[in-house]
Amino acid sequence: MTSSFRTVVLKYALVLLACSIVIYPLLWMVTMAFKPVAEWTTGNGLTWFPKNPTLQNFEYIFFGHTAGLAVSLDRTVIGPLTASLVTSICGTVLAVVAGTLSSYAVVRHRTLPSLAISVLQLRLFPPLAVMIPVMVMWAFIGAIDTWWGLSLIYGIVTLPFAFWLMKTFFEEIPVEIEEAARVSGSSHWRVFYRITLPIVKPGLATCVLFVFIINWSDYLLALLLTQKNWVTLPVFMSTLNSAMGEMYGMKAALGLIAAIPPVVLGLLIQKHLVRGLTFGALKQ
Amino acid sequence: MTDVTANIVSAAPAGSTTRRGYWSGVARDGRKLGLWFVAPTLVLLLFIVIFPMGMQLYLSATWWTPLDGTPWYLAFESFNGGENYLRLVTDPGLWSALWRTVLIMAVAVPVQFMLGLGLAFLFIDQFPGRKIFYSILLTPMMIVPAVVGMMFYLLFQGTGPINNTFGLPASFSWLADVNRAMISVIIADVWQWTPLMFLILLAGMLGVPQDQLLAARLLGGSNWQNFRKIILPRMKPVIAIALVLRSVECFKIFDLIYIMTKGGPGVQTETISLYLYKQTFADLDWSYVAAIGLTILLVLSLAAARGLAYNAKKRA
Repeated sequence: MTSSFRTVVLKYALVLLACSIVIYPLLWMVTMAFKPVAEWTTGNGLTWFPKNPTLQNFEYIFFGHTAGLAVSLDRTVIGPLTASLVTSICGTVLAVVAGTLSSYAVVRHRTLPSLAISVLQLRLFPPLAVMIPVMVMWAFIGAIDTWWGLSLIYGIVTLPFAFWLMKTFFEEIPVEIEEAARVSGSSHWRVFYRITLPIVKPGLATCVLFVFIINWSDYLLALLLTQKNWVTLPVFMSTLNSAMGEMYGMKAALGLIAAIPPVVLGLLIQKHLVRGLTFGALKQ
Repeated sequence: MTDVTANIVSAAPAGSTTRRGYWSGVARDGRKLGLWFVAPTLVLLLFIVIFPMGMQLYLSATWWTPLDGTPWYLAFESFNGGENYLRLVTDPGLWSALWRTVLIMAVAVPVQFMLGLGLAFLFIDQFPGRKIFYSILLTPMMIVPAVVGMMFYLLFQGTGPINNTFGLPASFSWLADVNRAMISVIIADVWQWTPLMFLILLAGMLGVPQDQLLAARLLGGSNWQNFRKIILPRMKPVIAIALVLRSVECFKIFDLIYIMTKGGPGVQTETISLYLYKQTFADLDWSYVAAIGLTILLVLSLAAARGLAYNAKKRA
C-alpha cells in the first residue's frame, strides 16, 4: 500500500499513544517499588522517577524489617513466593499430564469424544458459583491451606486449557506417521511415547508455560482455599497492610515480583498465545 | 503470522469420518490405551466436578451453614425443599448485582472490541518497530489480574498520579465515589483486556487472503470499503470468538474489583462474584450460595447449549 507521509505520522502517533496508555500504570507501579515513603504520594509533588531510589521496600518484604519502619512484618514474602511456585508447578503438572493424555486419546483413539466439550464447560462458570461444595469437601478431607489442596484445584481449573491446546497440536501431526510406526510392529503405547510425544515436544513446552501462567495468575482460589501457611503471592500482596497505613511501596514491590514471571514467559510463547487463549479455535 | 486458520469449535467431534476403519479395526489395544489415557481426567472430573455438583444440589435444599456444627452429610436434618430457590427470586441484592455485572459487560466488552479492532487495523501492515510495539501492547493481559487491581488502586488514590496529571485536587475521589468507582473499575478492565481483543482480531485480520485484498485495491476500493466488504465479513467467526470469550470472562470478574473497591462504596461495584463472596464469608449462608450457584450454572449451561446448537445449525 502506498501511504502518504501524513498517514504514516498519524499511524505512529496512534500507536505511540496506545503504548503510553499501556505504560502509564505500569511505570507508576514499577517506580513505586523503588521509592522511599516520602515519594509514595503526590503530597510533595509528583515524582515519576524516584529522586532517592531505594531498595527498602524489597528489604522490608524479604526480611520483615527495614530502617525507619517501626512495625515489622511477622511473615516475609519467602513463604508466599514458595507457595505460589509450588502450587503453580504442581497444578501445571497435573493439568498438562491429564490434559495431554486425554486429548491424545480423544484425537487418535476417539475415546469419549464428548469429553472435549465437557472439559470446556469448566471454563464457563464463575468459580464462586461452584466453590461451596469444594470448600466443604476440602475442609472434610483436610485440604484447606495445604499445598496439595490448592494444586489439585489448580490442576482441574487449567485442565481445559491444557486439553484444548494439546488437542490442536496432536491434530497437526499427520496420522500417517503413527500408522507407519504401527505397521512396523510398535504397540500403541510405544507409538505415543516414542513417535508422537517427541514430535509434540515444542507444543508441550508451550502448553506447560501457558498453563503455568494461568495458575500463577490466580487470586480467587487461593483466597478461598488457603489461610496462612500456603497463602500465595497475590493474596499476600492484597492483605499487606499495617497499623501505620497503606504500604504502597511494599505492595508495588510485591506486584512487580508477581508480574514478572508471566510477562517474561508470555512473551516467550507469544506465537501461541492466540491458540491457547481461544482454546485452539484460532491459530496463528 | 500469515497462515491463520479459523475453525469454530463445533459440537461434533473433529474428523469423525476419516480413518475410522484403521483405528477401530487393526488396533484393538488402541481402545484400551485410550481408556487408560482418559482415566486421570475422568477421575479429576468425578472428584472435583460431578461429586461436588451432587453435593451442591443436596446442600442447596437445606438450611445448612458451617456454623451449625453438624457435618455436611447430616445437612438433611434441616431440609427445606426449595426455599433457597424461592428466596433468590426475590433477593434484591442478587438482582442488582446481576444488573451491575451486565452493565460492566455491556460497557467494557464493546469498548475493548472497538479499541482492539482499531489497534489491529493499525498493525495489518509491516512498519519499522512493529514487533516491539506489538509486544508492549500485549503486556497488560499477561499481568496477574490481582496486580492490575493493585496498580489501578494506586493510580486512582486521591494522592495518586491520575488526579495530579489532570490537575484535580487530592480530595477528588475515584474509588470511594458512587459513580466514579464503577468507571474506574471499567477503565482497569479495559486496560487489561483490550490487548486480548487486539491479539485475536489481528490474527483474524491477517487470515484474510491477501490476494483478495490486493484485487480489491487494484479495482479501486478505498481502505474503508475494503475493510467493510472484504475483511469484516471474513472475520465474523473470529469476532464471535473474541466477543464470547471476553463476555464469559467479564461475567466472572472478581479479582480486579475485589482489590480495587471490595464492591464498594456500599454495593456500587458489587458484581455477581462479589455478591457470592460476601454471602459466603460475611453471612456464611452456604446453602443459599449453593442454590444461587446452581441456578447460575443451569442458566449458563442452557445458554451455552443453545449457542452451540445455533453455531452447528449455521455451519450445516
